[in-house]
Amino acid sequence: MKILAPLKNSAEVMPLLQAGADEFYCGLTPPDWQQHCGQSWANRRGAVSAGIRDLADFQLAVAAAAEHPVYVALNAPWYPPGGVELLAEFGAQLLATGAAALIVADMDLLLTLTAAGYAEKLHVSSLATCTNPAAAAFFRDLGVARVILPRHLTLEEIAAVGVDKLELEAFLLNDGCVFEEGLCATTHAAGTFCLEDGADTTDLATETTERYAFWKWTLNHCGCQTSQGYPLGPCGLCALPRLLASGIHSFKVVGREASLPRKEKAVEIAARALRIARSGGGPREIRQAVMNLRGADSLCEGSHLCYYPDVWRQKCPEEPRC
Amino acid sequence: MEYGLRLARPEKLPADPREICQAPWRDALPQGVLRALYFGTEFCEDLLPSAGEAAAFCALADAAGLEAVLLTPIVTPRGLQRLDRLLAALDGRGCSFSVSFNDWGVLRLLRSAYGDIPCRAGRLINRGLRDPRLAAKATYPSSALPDRGEKLRTLLRSYGVRGVETDPDLDGTYLSSQASVLQRVLHLPYAFATSGRNCLIKAESATENDSFTKGLGKLCPALCRDRCLQVQRQDTSIPLWRAGNTLFYQVSAAAVATHLRRCDRVVLHERPMP
Repeated sequence: MKILAPLKNSAEVMPLLQAGADEFYCGLTPPDWQQHCGQSWANRRGAVSAGIRDLADFQLAVAAAAEHPVYVALNAPWYPPGGVELLAEFGAQLLATGAAALIVADMDLLLTLTAAGYAEKLHVSSLATCTNPAAAAFFRDLGVARVILPRHLTLEEIAAVGVDKLELEAFLLNDGCVFEEGLCATTHAAGTFCLEDGADTTDLATETTERYAFWKWTLNHCGCQTSQGYPLGPCGLCALPRLLASGIHSFKVVGREASLPRKEKAVEIAARALRIARSGGGPREIRQAVMNLRGADSLCEGSHLCYYPDVWRQKCPEEPRC
Repeated sequence: MEYGLRLARPEKLPADPREICQAPWRDALPQGVLRALYFGTEFCEDLLPSAGEAAAFCALADAAGLEAVLLTPIVTPRGLQRLDRLLAALDGRGCSFSVSFNDWGVLRLLRSAYGDIPCRAGRLINRGLRDPRLAAKATYPSSALPDRGEKLRTLLRSYGVRGVETDPDLDGTYLSSQASVLQRVLHLPYAFATSGRNCLIKAESATENDSFTKGLGKLCPALCRDRCLQVQRQDTSIPLWRAGNTLFYQVSAAAVATHLRRCDRVVLHERPMP
């Protein structure tokens, strides 16, 4: 039951701990990556725009985080020839210098690290698209510690994915995806493919494409960075009681490349909602608290930002105030 | 070279598998014998066939002496149960078929409960790049480049998987350069670009309160079954189609030469299908 916060440099650790972060994740690219693998990204984001600068700053981040774990994303969906070997070596170096785990999507990298004895230090990325209990058991049997669930699951489905001896992590705040991230074979390095999707499809009703455009607008933070300083994008805060009841271990705040003030506000509101959920508060109580802080009430009341809008669809037996 | 056909309906099979393709492909592909009939869905669990429909495909394949291959998608817990029931029903009817899986949970189900059903690693197991914006200017690698995915192939062999399938990604090194016990299968002429559960076609039949994220988990009337919409993007000249929840683009015949050198079977799709 931890708030997982994104990091871009070591200076962000203390402010985010104060905001309520329990654990961290970041991206880091091997120094000689470009020489071997060209323009491919090592961790699904640009090395400069979203990654920690170098190993020295990573070590400072680990030291500042102290007992709070720092995970490193090496989670591109695939790597060009030579990339897996390079990252396996780099991953071992990261673990030796304080990374608590590596977040991995590519099966060859995952299997290489498993064969090297690092299975229990691996988190399976949401890009691996683990959406059912048999898939979770498959990864658990490989020895990994955690599976990060993809964004597009209902609460009922999430509750059914869990298996023994495997931690689950779920998305909580920010940065939606139009398509299933693990099944999107395009690259953001060429621009965000989904931004242009929809209107150019022939024979679709205008009302449908307009609805699609509105939904995409909500995934992209409603065209603005914040409301009252808080991010105004996809949000699963009201679902926290249900996610807790489903045994979710960690709640992810997305946005490695975001500014520190936005990260602080996101972590702050997530931690506040988690406190309410832990003390027995239900979705309505959380929603009211969130609206009081964030504003933009109509977006909450219409469930337009919800990662898990089914929280409003059915009653939760474990939560009398649902 | 051998061929498989991916058909939408269990209908008459062509004498030459290349007949279902447009002219450039008919001319570009080598002669070969039809060996397999593919059916089912790779992208959407709502499109899994009924037992009756699947059995009809199996019967058609059996009558023609072909391998019937049931394509399966990534599944939710409910989809996994539905697939389990379908497999049990086909098994109960004595159907002979293989399964192409795209979900590690489906592989686990197959090996734990249906050990006699041959299985193949579907094209979504390959997460390589297929970006239509880059495809037009892609320089496909020579066949001398090292293979990627050796650890994956070892894992698949340990599960008794018989084939590895893909469409032409932009990397071109996913299928092994050497033939092995894992049959190398290439799906043509459409590559998928992106897919997901938030389906525009499903949204067309839904209310605002049941569209996209709000519609997840709700049943779909599957209006996409016989529908494939053209997409004309400003950022690429390559033809794209929206078929159900998936965007496909057409690969050029010239671009697949490298891929063809690394495959044992080509599966031809009559049109983009999710």
